[in-house]
Amino acid sequence: MWKFIVRRLLITTPQIVLLSAIVFILAQLMPGDALTGLIDPTVKQERLEELRVQLGLDNPWYIQYRDWVAGIVQGDFGRSFIYKMDVTELIGQRIVNTIWLSVVSVFFIYAIGLPLGIISGRYNDRLIDQLITGYTYIGFATPIFIFGLIAVWIFGFVLGWFPTGGSVAPGLDPGTLEYYLSKIHHVLLPALSIALIGTVGTVQYLRSEIVDTKQRDFIITARAKGASESRVYNRHIFRNSILPIAAFFGYEIVNLINGTVLIEQIFSYPGMGNLFLESIVRRDTTVAITLVLISGIGAILGALLSDIILSMVDPRIRIK
Amino acid sequence: MGVSIVSREQTQTEIEKNNEQENKDVDSQKSSSGLVIFWKELLNDKLALVSLIFFTLVTLFVFGVSLILDQDQVVRVDLFAIYEPPSSEFWLGTDYGGRDVFGQLIIGTRNSLSIGFLVTLISGVIGVVFGVVSGYFGGHVDNFLMRIVDFFMVLPFFMLVIVFVSVAPDYNVWTFSLIMAAFLWMGIARLIRSKALQEKELDYAQASRTLGSSHFSIIFKQVLPNITSLVVVTMTLNLAANIGIESGLSFLGFGFPEDTPSLGTLLSYTTNPTTLEERWWIWLPAAILILLLMLAVRNVGEALKRAADARQRRA
Amino acid sequence: MSKSLLGKFLFVLMLAFVLLIAACSDGSDDDSSSDEEGNEESSENEGEDEEEEEASGEGDQLYSIEDFSPTTANSGEPIEGGELTYGLVTDTAFEGTLNWAFYSGTYDAEILNWFDESLLGYSNEYRINDEGAATYEVDEENSSITFTIKDGVKWHDGEPVTAEDWAFAYETILHPDYDGVRGTSAGFTRLLGYEEYVSGEADEIEGIEIVDDQTITFHYDRLTPSLLTGGIWGYPLAKHIFEDIPVAEMSSSPEVREEPIGFGPFKVESVTPGESVTLSKFEDYWRGEPNLDKVTIKTINPSTAANAVETGEVDLVDSFPADQYADNADLEGVDWLGMIDQAYTYIGFKLGDWDAEAGKVNYKPEEMKMGDVDLRRAMWYAVDNSEVGEQFYDGLRWNGTTLIPPSHPEYHDDSIETPTFDPDKANQILDDAGYEDVDGDGFREDPDGEELVINFATMSGGDVAQPLANYYMQSWERVGLNVELVDGRLLEFNSFYDRVGQRGEDDPEIDIYQGAWSVGYDVDPTGLYGKEALFNFPRYESEKNDELLAEGVSEEAFDTEYRKEVYSEWQEFMVEEIPVFPTLYRSIVVPANERVVNWDITVEGTNTRYSEVGVTE
Repeated sequence: MWKFIVRRLLITTPQIVLLSAIVFILAQLMPGDALTGLIDPTVKQERLEELRVQLGLDNPWYIQYRDWVAGIVQGDFGRSFIYKMDVTELIGQRIVNTIWLSVVSVFFIYAIGLPLGIISGRYNDRLIDQLITGYTYIGFATPIFIFGLIAVWIFGFVLGWFPTGGSVAPGLDPGTLEYYLSKIHHVLLPALSIALIGTVGTVQYLRSEIVDTKQRDFIITARAKGASESRVYNRHIFRNSILPIAAFFGYEIVNLINGTVLIEQIFSYPGMGNLFLESIVRRDTTVAITLVLISGIGAILGALLSDIILSMVDPRIRIK
Repeated sequence: MGVSIVSREQTQTEIEKNNEQENKDVDSQKSSSGLVIFWKELLNDKLALVSLIFFTLVTLFVFGVSLILDQDQVVRVDLFAIYEPPSSEFWLGTDYGGRDVFGQLIIGTRNSLSIGFLVTLISGVIGVVFGVVSGYFGGHVDNFLMRIVDFFMVLPFFMLVIVFVSVAPDYNVWTFSLIMAAFLWMGIARLIRSKALQEKELDYAQASRTLGSSHFSIIFKQVLPNITSLVVVTMTLNLAANIGIESGLSFLGFGFPEDTPSLGTLLSYTTNPTTLEERWWIWLPAAILILLLMLAVRNVGEALKRAADARQRRA
Repeated sequence: MSKSLLGKFLFVLMLAFVLLIAACSDGSDDDSSSDEEGNEESSENEGEDEEEEEASGEGDQLYSIEDFSPTTANSGEPIEGGELTYGLVTDTAFEGTLNWAFYSGTYDAEILNWFDESLLGYSNEYRINDEGAATYEVDEENSSITFTIKDGVKWHDGEPVTAEDWAFAYETILHPDYDGVRGTSAGFTRLLGYEEYVSGEADEIEGIEIVDDQTITFHYDRLTPSLLTGGIWGYPLAKHIFEDIPVAEMSSSPEVREEPIGFGPFKVESVTPGESVTLSKFEDYWRGEPNLDKVTIKTINPSTAANAVETGEVDLVDSFPADQYADNADLEGVDWLGMIDQAYTYIGFKLGDWDAEAGKVNYKPEEMKMGDVDLRRAMWYAVDNSEVGEQFYDGLRWNGTTLIPPSHPEYHDDSIETPTFDPDKANQILDDAGYEDVDGDGFREDPDGEELVINFATMSGGDVAQPLANYYMQSWERVGLNVELVDGRLLEFNSFYDRVGQRGEDDPEIDIYQGAWSVGYDVDPTGLYGKEALFNFPRYESEKNDELLAEGVSEEAFDTEYRKEVYSEWQEFMVEEIPVFPTLYRSIVVPANERVVNWDITVEGTNTRYSEVGVTE
């Protein structure tokens, strides 16, 4: 098992190096640079040119790449041109919010998805199943940003139940109860938006799993032995059907980290996705590259996690 | 968008799963009339049939009308007709440039569908080739190709597309589709590979090989035809996801310029709160159309999948 | 898994629900729109008939910036212990470089205004006055200016603000390790000993003389009017705090980012990076105790700004998207403030390129497509900017005339006649200049009979960018000019500036472009139209232009009347030469909650609005 993990990690190293080089070159190819946004008649262009030299923006890409890699080896991811602070610190501030949003979303995805999937599977083709299937149909076809926009409109503005931007109310001291309550209040609406749409796959999957499992021989045997219906569901069917879902847990998280880009934008939620779009538009390349790298590494770890879970729950898959 | 990706991922795992099940009772007899069975299944499933007809009609309509519709005329600015509500002249009103929304909807749908088709097709072709080659040859070839697939799998797709689009600001429908497809072929490649791995072990392929057929002809004459149904099903379901991804990108402003409207462009006007609240004619038709198109494609895809399953069972 | 009838029914039901949501929210619109439909038929022949403006729909109520007051209407007494929320309208985070010497984003500046200020007060004519924390005296003979800091001006930590702090700001900004963008205005470059200090030859700046703790004298090589109109750096840097921090590390230090210091009316309590800042009253503020107890500054999304003010989530905002005003003009409980913006939008003509070696423009009209001034003038006559302002901006932007906007009323010369919409005249000019349609394709050829395709570059972003570009191209088409978008689309901000020439590498594909400039306190246009200015994107130069620009910042120009004459002549000259022509002047319109008093968005208001603003409930 450990061998497997180590080997997987070894394979990923060249992947990350390749990814970083590709992104770095792409970032260099983008028109403009971080100082383009400072065009202003009251700021002299000579000053901007001096700054370009000072920041090394004038060097060819391979020199910049070399400097950048040399920095990373020493744990220095460079400095944001826009925020004038270390990239690690800047991303550190934002990644917390994104992880928090993802965790809450995942919680809701399963909190909504599992019961609905089980009910739908157990009572398939009855009224309740029709309702749930109807919901998954709509959910599947609704682009998340439309859903998010309508949610922010209705619950944020018309009803005023939720804040419409930010991650926490201003002026609260970190560590106090109020602070955490405010954090939850801010994350609830975006997370629910993600979850209500994102859980659709889980519901559908679980439903079809259960419907399938119901007709399997061992279930029929269990019933024949006189096991109660709820016992059949809780002990046999659910356990059997939940395994694949658990196995995709890692992928789910990865998808969320990537997918929060849209939701963070709609809810003005200061996370990584939001920062990424900004750094692309404003050509804050060090930040953009680091964010892509982090997401790549996150994806690798997520995939690894899923494989490990899969191997644990399903002994048929042997890990070499 | 994450969610589109999520559901797409789920779809594929679902297929993989079904695939696994099928394999348990696969035997060597293959029916070659896959498409006929698809057709029968569709005729039996009213919802899928209606969906298919709807989708075909919409497609024919937007492509047909946009042939006679002058795109320049549609995006022509009219200062005196800004934000007109629907009327007999402007069936779906006008937007903030006084441009006819109905015309934009037609062209937008055409563009969205074109991109959806193109992305699906390109990623499908890449994926199938990759998968078949990898699965058929196995061994080192397989190992090497799968490392490439692994690499692409961990790329943060959405972010990279945004980076690409920023690098090449003068992309068109073709290049845009290529960029998207470059990051969307891996799922299908993996799927096809696992299928091809099984196929080649089957008697008919083994037999051909002993008979001295070339790899090329075995792949094209024996292996490929037998996985057509899987390819069709996967690509149909991918089509829906791709339309969604495109509209998300356009919504964020990394899609097409307004002169080449897509469904996402019309939806992105909702960033103006008054448009969201009061000028439903600009965005609601586009929203409903996306919804219906995705449902239709999905229904057809599900029916095809059932057909594929059924075929396996019968076999 | 076949779907039963019920499933389908449910689907339809849900769809209906979606529709219902939409229908509910547009209820109010139905009534207002029904009466417009009768006029529809006539709106087809766009633009030809100016009387038609009546025909268009709900957007046809026109506003004028004249009707707006820059101060809040509420005249009540501010309550004790009031609290206020200030919104920064942006969909990104603010950078959080909270120091005048280092900031570069406008949102940081908006935050800075609340807790730190310039020692110099400014009048509505953008000239230094004695309303600030320092008074000034000009010694024309010795080309020096002496400032005296008033008594009782203290940093938030109780230390007095001294002449030493002020000099320290200069030393920091001109330091080789300094990573900000300031230090190039006349107030720096004209200081005696500037070159020596910047090159590292001298440790001190010769021209800065600290007379005593509260008095400082700046010695210049010569005086220019720009010094008194924003050229002098007026922000001290707290030496007792920053002294020990290396210059290169200052901008990322916690003293700038987390616990910034100033001597303004409020103290920073906490900073949530990128999101919000809370401030509390600074009781020892030199103008006297501020009216509010607590101020919260936070970012709000542009798409929700109006609602945030209406619901009271924020009381004031820093800015507001002009094209959304009409939709929100009637918000309840909201007081709209407005004034003329220090900016103009313009169309520029490429008349040369940049000579990087010589560091100046390479003006070569004879080689450029747009080199013929008649062609440029005809293009000016061909567009109807008044109509654009009314239709796209409901009158809140209006026809621009000269290159000094009316936000500078002293220097803006409104008596100058400039081309206004007249397609017949445009046609006539083009006919006379030899631009005729030789091959009968509907477009004019150039005087040599060669096909003429003019490539137009314009930026994406902003709600109406695309329709606006299309409108201009349609207008030019109407006088027979074939204008096409570069690349067939709007250019993204970064590539636009790269290709127009912000690095001196002008894209030869661009013939004309649409841009906008904001104008500083000082009207001197040398930075935009001087021959050595990289931002002179048209790459225009002429002797007379050089002369007038130099005259405008000469010592004689210390006399405002004379300076006015010079700039009038320059404005008129630009209307003759047309390297660029202004299209629109702009206005600033911001919502304020009705409970706010003493908020004044003018330049003069900057001096006092932060300490005097209050709330009445």
